[in-house]
Amino acid sequence: MYDHFETPEPDEAVKLALRRIDEATARGEGSDLGGLEFNEVVVNMGPQHPSTHGVLRLVVTLDGELVKDVIPVIGYLHRCKEKLAERRTYFQYIPIVDRTEYLASINCEWAYVMAVEKLAGMQVTRRAEFIRVITGELMRIASHLVAVGTFTADLSPLGTAMVFYMFRDREIILDLMEELTGARMMFNYYRFGGVRYDLPDGWVERCRDFLKMFPKQIKEYEALVDTNAVFLQRTQGKGVITQQDVVDYGITGPNARASGIDLDLRRHRPYSVYPELDFDIITAQHGDIFDRYRCRMDEMRESLKIVEQCLDMLPNGPVQLGSLRAPYVITPPPGSVYVGQENPRGEYGTYIESDGSRYPYRLKFRDPCFCNLQLFPKLLSGNKIADAVAISGSIDLVLGGIDR
Amino acid sequence: MGLVVGSNPMSMDAIAMVLVERFGADLEDVRIQEPDTVVARVAREKLRDVAARLKADPEVGYETLNWVAGVDRRTALESVYHVYSWKTNTWIELHVTVPKAKAEVDTVCDIWPAADWHEREAWDMVGIRFIGHPDLRRILLKDDFVGHPLRKDYVDLAENHPHV
Repeated sequence: MYDHFETPEPDEAVKLALRRIDEATARGEGSDLGGLEFNEVVVNMGPQHPSTHGVLRLVVTLDGELVKDVIPVIGYLHRCKEKLAERRTYFQYIPIVDRTEYLASINCEWAYVMAVEKLAGMQVTRRAEFIRVITGELMRIASHLVAVGTFTADLSPLGTAMVFYMFRDREIILDLMEELTGARMMFNYYRFGGVRYDLPDGWVERCRDFLKMFPKQIKEYEALVDTNAVFLQRTQGKGVITQQDVVDYGITGPNARASGIDLDLRRHRPYSVYPELDFDIITAQHGDIFDRYRCRMDEMRESLKIVEQCLDMLPNGPVQLGSLRAPYVITPPPGSVYVGQENPRGEYGTYIESDGSRYPYRLKFRDPCFCNLQLFPKLLSGNKIADAVAISGSIDLVLGGIDR
Repeated sequence: MGLVVGSNPMSMDAIAMVLVERFGADLEDVRIQEPDTVVARVAREKLRDVAARLKADPEVGYETLNWVAGVDRRTALESVYHVYSWKTNTWIELHVTVPKAKAEVDTVCDIWPAADWHEREAWDMVGIRFIGHPDLRRILLKDDFVGHPLRKDYVDLAENHPHV
């Protein structure tokens, strides 16, 4: 009756994990407890595991409860984004960028549009720059809410309450964005030289209402979590990313800042109108799970500050260059350009090579999660499997961006 | 250790000068790609040597590899290394030409650990084989995929997809 449930042939990643066990045993490093021939078990976490936030698959070698080795397997969400770019005009590609990192899609759009503008030498209208900062920072808050919410949900039953509260607040941001762009997540809003629509009537007031309401909510969340003994025990001192790791593996974003490195591209490679705005770069000292969580919470406050300043300074004027129509066909001069943009998860880079035609010759995304995920084998090894779940939640991965 | 970003800020011209003065003999070409990138072309054989010295340089110190991209130039392949210097808060690009007939280049995995996955991606997409890489498997495409799709002459054949 169960004939069709055959053990599948192990794939390359599992074979590698088994090979590493054999090598470790041959070196005499295998843990041979109680005279058993082997103690290590290879376990597949994912790609449909509820705690991996997407289709991440970890081939974990376990020794009892201890994680010995981790082999991340990615590519389950690969949609050939870089290949698609070669057959589409620069303009046609904007909605596809949205679908790379879907939790902060407007920031990805920004990185792409900024790269094309730099390549083609286009200017952006001043009002559009402010609208871009406002939307970008609102999405940063929304993205951090998902990150912290789902991460606390992994930790304890307490977090299941958190995740609902945080998704409730994120909904307000998504409503604001829907009013502005017509879409909740896949915005297709930025245009070369500006944005698609101007702010609708009353939007600024509604946005201010949110800014007034939200700091109270952040305080509430912190009251719920920051002094919770279970939460502290599970997060403090676990999963430490050292500064050497940051340098070696190119970790960026809140994960790097939690280790005490004040790298923020909004400050260090300034773009748009960020030089005119007053905000702090949030850093922490220890680089453990708790510090990464703290960084995200404080960054939400900074984002609120930035949005408020932008609403105050918002100039009048057009949101697109020249006529009402966006430049649909642009042909940048031959050459290449790289733009790194501070995505909620780190440096989201776009590298474009142009051969002077209407289509990009080569387009590459440098995704922050792809680089952060590379640290996983080092970060998870030696921890208990339950901590491994907490650590992978605190790194905040979005598989859409990693697999592209 | 307090790592400070941009403790020794340098202009693009100054970076280019440093590259020409200290690495000039090993580089084939140094040029400034407007608006903000210094591009250095390295011979295949000298890549590892230049990479190690770039990383260890006390003044500029390109310690972090940001990404690697394989590019198909039609006549040849090219491996592009984008490296970042914390001290000067600048980046440069190393371009290495890889002939299609023998698409091989030495790995820089042991110099910049971040190169591991990026090189796997370049192998997966463009088919540049990195000699000495510890685990050069496909990364984004499935294990039994045939061909390297970001090559300009790649043809997608139905018989390459038996599962669909």
